[in-house]
Amino acid sequence: MENLTKQSAKSKIVGFFSDRGRKISEFFKSLPQRIKTKFAGAKEILYEGNGKVRASMLIMGLGQLMYRQWAKGILYMLVQAAFLAYFILRGASDFIGFFTLGTQESNAWYGIEGDNSVIMMLMGILSIIAIIFYAVIYVSNIKDCYVIQCAADTLKNPKSFKKELAELLNQKFYKTALALPIVGVSVFSILPIIFMILIAFTNYGGNIVPPALVDWVGFDNFGRILTLGQFAPTFFKIFGWNILWAVLSTALNYFAGLGLALLLNKKCVKGKTIWRLFPILAYAVPGFITLIAFKYMFSYGGPINQMITDAGGTAIGFLDIDAKWTARLIGLFANAWLNIPSSMLLATGILSNMNSDLYEAARVDGASAWKQFVKITLPYVLFATMPVLISQFIANFNNFGIFYFLRGGLYMDGYFLASDTDLLINWLYNMSIDNNYYSIGAAISIIIFIVTSVISLAVYVLSPSYKQEETYQ
Amino acid sequence: MGKNLSALVAHIAVIVAIIITLGLVSAFAAGASAGQGSDRFTGELEEGATLRILENDTAIKQGYLKELLDAFNAEYAEYGITAVDANMDQYTDLENDGPYGYGPDVLYQANDRIMRYVDGRHIMPLPVDAIDCLDVVGEQAWMAYSAVSDGQTNIFGVPVNIQGPLLYYRKDLLPENWEEEWDDDENGVCDIVEYWTDLYRFSKQRKEESGGTQFGYMRSFLEPYFSVGYLYSYGGYTFGNNNTDPTDIGHSAGNAELGGRVIRQLASIMDERCIDDSVTTGAYSALASGEFFATITTPDVYTMFVDEMKADGYSDEFIAENLVTADIPKLPVSGDLEDESQGFIESKMMGGVNGYAISSYTDYPNAALAFVNFATSYEMISRRNELLGIVPARSDVASDVGGLSEVINANLEEGNIVVMPSIKENAQIWTPLQTFFQDIAKDPYRTPAEYKYDTLEKIKAALQNVDQQIYDAIFTLQ
Repeated sequence: MENLTKQSAKSKIVGFFSDRGRKISEFFKSLPQRIKTKFAGAKEILYEGNGKVRASMLIMGLGQLMYRQWAKGILYMLVQAAFLAYFILRGASDFIGFFTLGTQESNAWYGIEGDNSVIMMLMGILSIIAIIFYAVIYVSNIKDCYVIQCAADTLKNPKSFKKELAELLNQKFYKTALALPIVGVSVFSILPIIFMILIAFTNYGGNIVPPALVDWVGFDNFGRILTLGQFAPTFFKIFGWNILWAVLSTALNYFAGLGLALLLNKKCVKGKTIWRLFPILAYAVPGFITLIAFKYMFSYGGPINQMITDAGGTAIGFLDIDAKWTARLIGLFANAWLNIPSSMLLATGILSNMNSDLYEAARVDGASAWKQFVKITLPYVLFATMPVLISQFIANFNNFGIFYFLRGGLYMDGYFLASDTDLLINWLYNMSIDNNYYSIGAAISIIIFIVTSVISLAVYVLSPSYKQEETYQ
Repeated sequence: MGKNLSALVAHIAVIVAIIITLGLVSAFAAGASAGQGSDRFTGELEEGATLRILENDTAIKQGYLKELLDAFNAEYAEYGITAVDANMDQYTDLENDGPYGYGPDVLYQANDRIMRYVDGRHIMPLPVDAIDCLDVVGEQAWMAYSAVSDGQTNIFGVPVNIQGPLLYYRKDLLPENWEEEWDDDENGVCDIVEYWTDLYRFSKQRKEESGGTQFGYMRSFLEPYFSVGYLYSYGGYTFGNNNTDPTDIGHSAGNAELGGRVIRQLASIMDERCIDDSVTTGAYSALASGEFFATITTPDVYTMFVDEMKADGYSDEFIAENLVTADIPKLPVSGDLEDESQGFIESKMMGGVNGYAISSYTDYPNAALAFVNFATSYEMISRRNELLGIVPARSDVASDVGGLSEVINANLEEGNIVVMPSIKENAQIWTPLQTFFQDIAKDPYRTPAEYKYDTLEKIKAALQNVDQQIYDAIFTLQ
């Protein structure tokens, strides 16, 4: 039976990846055709576009002006003027600076203002984003002029500017609504992510921090992580514990939260509001304060050891240097204390939507309470919460605070700049922030991202939320 | 198609040409325009300057900063120079804030924090001839602010006060007959506070007699700042070449393992609280209640002990007479707290020198230097000592104040206070040392079969491992 389950899971994973592989292969095979289709419109414009379209190709908005589309023409011209002004004033130097990362080191002692490589990289990314935006607007300018030409050729009146604006508030409102978020996401989300990824390909960190000039080093940092003797053993030890931690803590928090929600959902429980309040109070206290309190509770001078010694026992080093597994268990417990309340609230909300007829029918068929839980409650709750469960798994995988606050500041024998309770994220912190190796830290964080993405994707694909989406809709 | 394609290509070509031409021109222009620069300390005060002064929180809370600013502003009113509170976190990061104009003009911090800014040229090398207190501050204090840059030794900060640990103890808890039983050298000072061997013996006795509820000496070993001195006392050091060479790490050098054994022995006369830091904040009340007879900490927390004793109902007179601060006891040459047959050596402890530095990003270097000279004048340092209880780095103020200020100054000059290394690699020493100290303090509380440090060879090997960890942290990824 166990073998069958293993084989089934294995075949699902293999099936998923072979399915994805087939799709990727199909994608590349169909690529030439897709490109051909995509550029069919461009070819048409190049072949059929008249002199006015050509004018817009040379100077944005000029064709529109020739068609007496004044507002649009002027707007396109202003965009071009703004872009040129930006590039003349700083965009061009930002763009080149992205590749050089600076040529002149600053010397504040003599008031010599030099280049700041990190800022140059950031501004360089911005200039590339600006170029992409410009290209998009330039293409839209040509398309727009060609659409006007087509309308004029078929003796139709081209859409007025006013009408196009009205469309942006009606049929094409999605474009208006998404414009601002796209700019926001580009600046506040995509830009920092690209920046962080690019840092992994530089030598930024250690002695090379501004005002020293940073350089591009290609894949050197990844090569060092993979080849450095001290790294590999520590990486695999921490990675193994990290996986175990993420699975155990996610499962514990999830099922304990579900259990608590089921318990408080029972009709026989009196004063449910009060009982629900206690976990919420724990949830409301800031996490780091709770963790510091836990650290004190389990310290040698804390109340737990006080009680043990008062009772004639010997103080226990719950979190000290020898306390590998005790500290790990306390970490699990502290994490459960912090996260069970949110799981409970989530499960409470979902359980309130359960169809009581299902249970009624199950009872009539003689199903035990356990059977009802396994066959009705759990599949339903799992289906509804799988995306949350995956996000909790990732959050636990990258749970920095637990062991930083409970047992930070230890380097163990057999570990390179890490302790036996550190997770990858703590190790990353030790190396990048504590030791200023930002580029190595960025490279490790990319590896962590790949690992968590693969695991999350695999779990999601195997989950009912993915396989049985239609069943619950 | 040809014409349209030409128009498209022409547009793209123009844009690309603009970007590349202007980009390259600006890159070369930036390189060419960078000159050699010149010395910014011309001696001419920048009239109308507003200086942002970063002081520590205690100086702000106790009102010292306000007094200092008022006095300086009155003195320099004729030049229109004003000094104001920078109103920033006392541990502001000049490296990240300074280049963008957010940092202070003058900053007061410990030597290790200030000197880590030297490599990035975030603080200015000071013109030695223009520093007023040059001759009245000891050489060791200046060493804390010296570094080689551009091939010559420069001074980057002006010392204000010396941080060095002291022994705090309760005189009333000494044995009544100490003059007969605990004064072998007959110098009128109880040996318990003069020699670690006697303090160890007394602590052992106190713990045994109280059934483990009262202790003699008690202090967590977790903080390397207070623990590494035992290694220094027997030949260990942090970095070679007077704490400037990070390739030479020496916590295991000389007979440093003897210092490790002293720590292990001291841990045995405390309880498990010496392993973690849970006893650190409780030390004030424990000394006040008499649970502890003595502990070691810095001079600036004296008032914390006083407050706790007052809260326990002791009168001011009683506290003044019985809460005593003293120099750190002497260690046995043997490195064994049960063997004083070979005599004693002075204890070395880690210390620090706080001082002022001038940001390289200031627009008013000459006014900033005038402020530093003013703030380190005899009058202001005396006032600082009065209000904040600091140990002045100025020898003239220290000798006028006398007492422990003089003792600590002497300790610094004699090398018994080892100033925290001023190089930025110092940031890597704490975690490996903290791990070792926690491990060795735990040893007496393991079962004999689990002992990790029961021989000097094992302690030596562990210290060598600490040195290797520090080396790895500094150099592996460089």
